[in-house]
Parts: sequence; structure tokens; C-alpha cells
Amino acid sequence: MAGGLSLYAEGSSFLHRAHPLTKGVLMLSAVALAFIAPSVGWVIAILLLLLALVTAAGVLRRLLTVALAILLPLTLLLLAVQGFANVNNRTEAFALGPIVYYREGLAIAALAALRIACLVCATFLFSFTTRPADIAEALMQRGLSPRMGYVVQAALQIIPQTLDTAGRIQDAQRARGLETEGSLPRRARAYLPLMLPLVLSSLVATQERAMALEVRGFGLAVKRVARFDFADNTYQRVLRWLLAVAVPGAIVARVVGWR
Amino acid sequence: MEVSSTALVLEGVCYAYEEAPREAVSDISLTIGEGEWVGVTGPTNAGKSTLCLLAMGLAPHFFGGRLKGKVTVLAKDSRSVSVIERSSEVGLLFQNPFTQVSGARERVDEEVAFGPECHGVARPEVDARVEEAMGLAGITHLAARHPMELSGGQLQRLALAGLLAMRPRLLLLDEPTSQLDPAGTAAIFQVLDGLHRRGTTIVMVEHRLETLCEVCPRVVAMVAGRVIADGAPEEVFNIEKVQERVGMPVFTRLARARALPRPWPVRLRDAASAFAKSIA
Repeated sequence: MAGGLSLYAEGSSFLHRAHPLTKGVLMLSAVALAFIAPSVGWVIAILLLLLALVTAAGVLRRLLTVALAILLPLTLLLLAVQGFANVNNRTEAFALGPIVYYREGLAIAALAALRIACLVCATFLFSFTTRPADIAEALMQRGLSPRMGYVVQAALQIIPQTLDTAGRIQDAQRARGLETEGSLPRRARAYLPLMLPLVLSSLVATQERAMALEVRGFGLAVKRVARFDFADNTYQRVLRWLLAVAVPGAIVARVVGWR
Repeated sequence: MEVSSTALVLEGVCYAYEEAPREAVSDISLTIGEGEWVGVTGPTNAGKSTLCLLAMGLAPHFFGGRLKGKVTVLAKDSRSVSVIERSSEVGLLFQNPFTQVSGARERVDEEVAFGPECHGVARPEVDARVEEAMGLAGITHLAARHPMELSGGQLQRLALAGLLAMRPRLLLLDEPTSQLDPAGTAAIFQVLDGLHRRGTTIVMVEHRLETLCEVCPRVVAMVAGRVIADGAPEEVFNIEKVQERVGMPVFTRLARARALPRPWPVRLRDAASAFAKSIA
């Protein structure tokens, strides 16, 4: 059966132990700053900082495996499209026969690719060091309603569960002779016998789970008890505030002339 | 077990699901005392699961439909208490353990803690209950696993542990061992026996008649929404109508086939002595 949508990698680094909100603010601020920063130099600095944190968390190899699969094709596409076809292209870098590659496009593509690399690194740094259940728990401890907390947690689990159910339905239909592979029309014909039981079983499961939740007292009007206390301290609180303030600060700096 | 007060009382209960052409249960009157362990059996569409849903309050609260008569659970009228409120005293184990898990927790021990947490139980108490419930259900070694990685039998144990952690006074079990192997089934019945000895009332829907007769001092046989027999297993399965419409334990069938004198045995030990006597 499917395990869940968690990318969490077991570990005991300071990032694993840090408060989920600290890591969440770090992720959001890093991404925002990477997109606000005006030049390649600043974005590289943010990327290097993120890579240092990834290394400290002991998840660099894991990040490279996942990130390269995303970033490599994206970067090549950006380099090709911007270098050859950006409307602001003026200065020739090199020519491939009649096709000219431009420096302006290269600079734009490099900046965009580095920003996306920051986004990917920050997101995976957060995902690799934070369990989804901890995110919801931390938010509920900060005032998110238990119902919304449940929605957050359940949403992170539902995709692999649905894929698992779809796989079992597909196996069952194949066992009854349904052709699910081959040409496009053949696969299209197999779509309905697969989707109908999936939708119906999901509806039934949803109804049963709603009942089961009531039977376990979900929604009872009682004061919620925290499942566990996250390690938090003054340094983390100060860091969260600094990171949060850095974003509007960077926006103001850009407006007043940060180049 | 001495019966002091009633856990579940159904008085002239008729219930039909919304838009259903006929009643799922018809004119049921049943009194189950606190501390009893009652087995409910019958063919498909006998109304066994509906009986559990009525006792939990899910019917008609969740399903709508028409309810006639009166259902009293632990001295409270079913209409006066919501399912959520009742969940502190009554637990229901569904047939499908997959939908019994919350779908929001990433570890088995966290899943077991879900119910007590919903009830606002203090943290140390939750931890103690989780440890006890996992131990009783035999899943302590699975504590760190993801619930969705478990097998059907393990999920069934997890669902039971989740209920046990809420320490219900009345436990409604709809085929609690349907996905378990014989060893797992025996282990769960041992747990239920322990709960029964501690005073928990158990109402258990079960198809395995041999098992039912071994563990339940009282059996209710249902057919087409009606109770056709209610009493000790050796009484119930010696009634011709029950044998024809519900079936009978294999020992009873053997004794009947060998034309042994009545009453025919329903348990292994009784069958062994009955056959020994007949041979002698």
C-alpha cells in the first residue's frame, strides 16, 4: 500500500530538530528573496546558503537526485528559449549557422534558472527535514482549527492512497481481461472501467471515513491537547522575525533602487 | 458475569434507510446488560450491521431514514445524544478497517492516539492508553510504521487498538476478525475476553459460528431484519429454524448427520464428549 506523500528523511541534524515554523519561514523567505534579488550574484549567494543548509541536514545526495531531474531539463529549455528568442536580445554570443545565440537571453535564463534552483532547494530542504504531521501540528498549536489541521494532514496523504486504490482496480480489471496497455484508443477505452470504480469506491470510502471520524470523537468541542512540544527558543524566534522582515525589506530596497 | 444494568435496549425498533423499499430491521426488541458479550449472526441482509449502526446512533443520524421504536444506549435515548458525544462511551469497529483509520496520521502509534486526542485526554494519559491499546491488539512492534503500509489484518488490529484507546464501556464489533488469520483471530478473541472480564459490554457481529459459540455466552440470530432466536449458543443452534436459515457450527452439523441424541453440541469440547459417548 502507499505510504504517504511525505518526503521526510530521518535524521537528527539541527534542521531536523528545528521548529517547523522556523523551517517554513526559512523556506518562504528564501524563495521570496531569490525572486526579489536583482542580480545573479545575490541569487547565487542565497543558493549557496541553501546548499550549505542542505549539506548540514545530511540530505545533499537525496536533493541532487531529485533536483537535477527537475532542474536540468528546465534550465536547458530556459537557455534555449531565452538565448535564441528573447525580444530584448541584442549582443551576439555565438552563432550556429543562421541561428544566433544572444548574451542578454543567456543572462535572463541564468537568473531564472538560479531562482528556480533556489525554489527547489528551499522546498526540498523543508520537505526532507519536516514531517507533514509536524507542519499541521505546529499550525494547530498556533491557532489553526483541528478541522483545518485534519484537512492539511489528510490532503498530504490522499494522493498516494488514491493511486494505491487505482492500482488495485487496474489489477482487478486486467485480471478480468481488460486491456489497459497498447495504442491510445485502446487505453482510452479502458479509462471508463477504471475511473468509474475509482470514483465510486472513493465516495463510499469518504462516507465511511466520515462516520469513523465521528465514532472516534472528531469534532468534539473540547480544548485540544498538543501532541508534543516542539523545541523552540529565542534564537529561532528572532530568526523567524528577521527572515519575515527581510522580505518586505528587500521589496522596499528594490523600489528605492537596489540594483 | 453478573448483569447489573442495561447497556443497550431496543424496544420495538423498525428502521428503513432513506429511499429503501423495505425495512433493514423490523420490530426488534432486545435488552443487553452491562458486561454481557453477545454474538450477532445471520445471513447477508439480516440487519446485523444496521443493528450496530443503530446502537452507535449513526442510523438515523448519519444515514437519515425512518426510525420507529426506542433505542437506549447506556441509559440514554439515542435521539438525545450525538454520535460524537456518545463516542466517549461507545466504540464501533467497522467491517472495513481501511476506512476506520483517520487517513491523517503517519505513524501507527499516532493513529491510535487520534481518538483520545479528539476527546481532549491529557498527554500522559494518551501515551499510557496508546501503549496499553497497542499491547492488547498486538501491534506494539508496528508503532513507527505508516498505517497505509499495513496488511488488512494489521489494519484491523490497528482499528481495534484505536477503539480500545478510548476505553469504551460498550464495544460494537462488526466482523472484527474478517481479515485475520486463525492465529490473529485467536489473539483478538483473547483480548476481547480480557475486556469482557473487566466489565466491557461487547456486541459482536460474526459469521464464524464455531468461534461465536466458543466465545459468546449469548447469541442473537437474525434473518431479514428480525431476531429469530436469542439465547445461549447451545439453545439457539438447536432450533430447527436457525439451522435452516442461519446455519450451524460444524460440530452441530456432524452430530445431526450422525443422528446423535439432542441437544446437539455447538462447541468442540461438547462435541468430543458427545461423540465419545456415542462410540461407547
